[in-house]
Amino acid sequence: MSAALLLGLGLGVAAAASGGALPARSRVPVAAVLTVAACVAALVAAARVLASGSAITVNSAQVLPLTGVTLVLDPLGAVFVITTAVVGVAASWYNVGYSGHSGHGGGRGRAGTALLPLFVTSLLAVPSAGSVATFLAAWELMALSSLFLLLTGHHRAEARDAAQWYAVMTHAGAAAILLAFVLLGAHAAGAQSFDGFGSFAAIRAGASGIPSGIRSLAFVLALAGFASKAGAVPLHVWLPRAHPEAPSPVSALMSGAMVNLGVYGIVRTGDDLLGGGQLWWWLVVAGLGAVSALFGALHAAASPDLKRLLAYSTVDNVGLVLIGVGASGALAVRGHRVLAALALIAALFQLVSHSAFKGCLFLAAGSVQQAAGTRDLDSLGGLLRRLPATAALFGIGALSVCALPPFSGFASEWLLLQGFLRGFSAHSAVIATALLAGVAALALTGGLTAAAFVKAFGIGFLGQPRTPAAASAGEAGVSMVGGTALLAVPCLVLGLIPGIAVPLLAKAAGTALSGSPAGAGGGRLAGPLRAEAGLAIAGTTDVIEPALLAAALAAGIALAWAVIRLRGRARGRAPAGGRAGAGARRAEAWGCGREVQTPRMQYTATSFAEPLQRVFEDVLRPDRDLDVSHLAESRYFEDALRYHNRIDDAVERGVYRPLTVAAGRWGEFARRAQNGSMHRYLGYGFAALVILLVVLA
Amino acid sequence: MVTLRFMQLLPLLRSLFSRPVTERLPRPPGPRGGAGFGGSVQLRHVDAGSCNGCELEIASAFGPVYDAGRFGARLVASPRHADGVLVTGVVTRNMAVPLGKTLDAVPEPRVIVACGDCALGRGPFGGGYGVASSQGPLAAPDVAIPGCPPGPAAITQALRTLTGR
Repeated sequence: MSAALLLGLGLGVAAAASGGALPARSRVPVAAVLTVAACVAALVAAARVLASGSAITVNSAQVLPLTGVTLVLDPLGAVFVITTAVVGVAASWYNVGYSGHSGHGGGRGRAGTALLPLFVTSLLAVPSAGSVATFLAAWELMALSSLFLLLTGHHRAEARDAAQWYAVMTHAGAAAILLAFVLLGAHAAGAQSFDGFGSFAAIRAGASGIPSGIRSLAFVLALAGFASKAGAVPLHVWLPRAHPEAPSPVSALMSGAMVNLGVYGIVRTGDDLLGGGQLWWWLVVAGLGAVSALFGALHAAASPDLKRLLAYSTVDNVGLVLIGVGASGALAVRGHRVLAALALIAALFQLVSHSAFKGCLFLAAGSVQQAAGTRDLDSLGGLLRRLPATAALFGIGALSVCALPPFSGFASEWLLLQGFLRGFSAHSAVIATALLAGVAALALTGGLTAAAFVKAFGIGFLGQPRTPAAASAGEAGVSMVGGTALLAVPCLVLGLIPGIAVPLLAKAAGTALSGSPAGAGGGRLAGPLRAEAGLAIAGTTDVIEPALLAAALAAGIALAWAVIRLRGRARGRAPAGGRAGAGARRAEAWGCGREVQTPRMQYTATSFAEPLQRVFEDVLRPDRDLDVSHLAESRYFEDALRYHNRIDDAVERGVYRPLTVAAGRWGEFARRAQNGSMHRYLGYGFAALVILLVVLA
Repeated sequence: MVTLRFMQLLPLLRSLFSRPVTERLPRPPGPRGGAGFGGSVQLRHVDAGSCNGCELEIASAFGPVYDAGRFGARLVASPRHADGVLVTGVVTRNMAVPLGKTLDAVPEPRVIVACGDCALGRGPFGGGYGVASSQGPLAAPDVAIPGCPPGPAAITQALRTLTGR
């Protein structure tokens, strides 16, 4: 089993090397094939870990100096490896077609082709890491490779700007994580020999001996670092910039795999390494989740940019996962073992399901962007006829993210809701209040998400094309459609038979919670969910059979169609009111009787979102402006009206802008002191010497 | 302090059970059941070049005094919601196409109500230079309401023949 894992990582590195070394014609397909092989090998290793329930351990002292490399793949990490591997296969496959275009994000550049496999490999390595040094090395590799992939679009100012934000946020986060692990490693080392220093096993063993204050400090630091990677508000500001600007396979990997690892870090540190900790930790996590869910959903509903909408939707979904993780942690602290596991399983299910549908949506959005040359919804429209396969796949993703049966989003959000509602039986006022807030956040988020994706699909794919570019768009190639379709499959499978994933996720949740009071003694967790075709919760009669639900849905649609057809025929035979009404009549779309109708008279993304934007004006704070220019002859006639609507991130404006302004001021000040004059620098040296002599004398 | 005696309450109580003060109107002319819309007719009003005299009368027909709504007639905001079109005015050149599009947008079966002399091809503005052919969609309206302008009572009466109430 360890051979498969090592083979996977090795193939990934080989893919990166071939992407960098081979000639331009062959490098993309060879790198893609090797990356797919790497993902499959890692998938096999992780699947066997999940099936057997025991971890793989690989120790190699030679690879990294001083610390060596320690890989430990346990069931918790295996879930993340499998998710990453599936998204990685789809993204690499997709990239073969995507990089063939000369348009946005395309091109077979040496750097991009080499970095994509490296990024996938690092994403596989992070959840397999078994020591602090290995983890941080993989983490940093992941951050840097994705940063440079983002910078392959360096000719655009937006991409450079996004990369700057991403670089600062990810490194600040990495610094926080490093501090947290150093604190933990140093305090846990006590009785350990130097060999075990910094391994997760050593920290786990020594965690109970660490003073509570240090543990809380370490958790808060780790939470800050991991939450910034996961994109939780208020540390999300890089995400809606970087995800849209990255090439689409990279966006899919970022949203479908990288943000997951932020959640992985929180679960690994809080639940597993620190063994549960204190109630307030988890209330903070759940609070961050609730704020992220609402904030993300709101911005997604208001955004007219397709990929930015998807990025904000990622913030929203990560928020939902974090509410589940927080609820699970809080229940575990209070010793409710089954309830905690149920909430964690629900959170992991939501995470896996999000990876599938968001990866699918980002890849479909990439096809749209390449076909139409833009991702501005107000310039798209009518793509259903021009890109039928991509539109259908985007539709599957959109239905899934809206949590409609029979897609995976429905199963995961149903499970999440059940997890929250079951938590009330913990009989704790604090937890019950938090769960109530979680249920409310889930409900409001669901509505806003539906609005966002009705907009994305309705404006982008239905109606008439709004620009010539959208009108002349053509279907994406086989590899792009195939890569997208590969991620639509789990959306359907997990939606129809969620029962297959639940026992595997239960093993992962059991591993995570084994260190906490809830899991202590029992070790492995007895499945709180009966894994049958449907989802059933032990000890209750609540069963849901998504497959039956899908069958009922199909039957209902067929019945409605039959009734409409039969009634239409009946009407045709006996027209009411004496007028001939033979069946249906096709009429022009109603446009208030105007003589000429143009695509400009359709709803736009901006106008569709306007009512919501108005309701939530205090949160979104849009910057609206109407410029009217008049004809030269008379002020009574308008020449042009220009409506300008821009929504900036309120967190960015309120929190980060003062910080950047302050940093800029500090830079200005430093520039005055450091003006390049050698004489002045010598003067500084002299002044320092004099001051030191005066002070010390 | 006001003392409310039981005897004062009596007429109030009785009014709850007695017949209404208004008389029941006789059944409208035309076939029983009106135009076959089940007693409720939703109309889209189109001003096809009216002097607004008819509009005032329509507004008053749907006002509190005549209250055409109590007979099941209603003015709606879109032809997609309508069973028919209520047209006023001479049908000017500018309004000929929009009127045609509005009629096209109403699902079948539909009714056309021509309100006022202008819409019936006569009246003071008939034959003016801005008037489109009078042989348009209004050549054979389902209901014609003559008058310049027709009064609210006439409009209400005509709408009742459609609703059958």
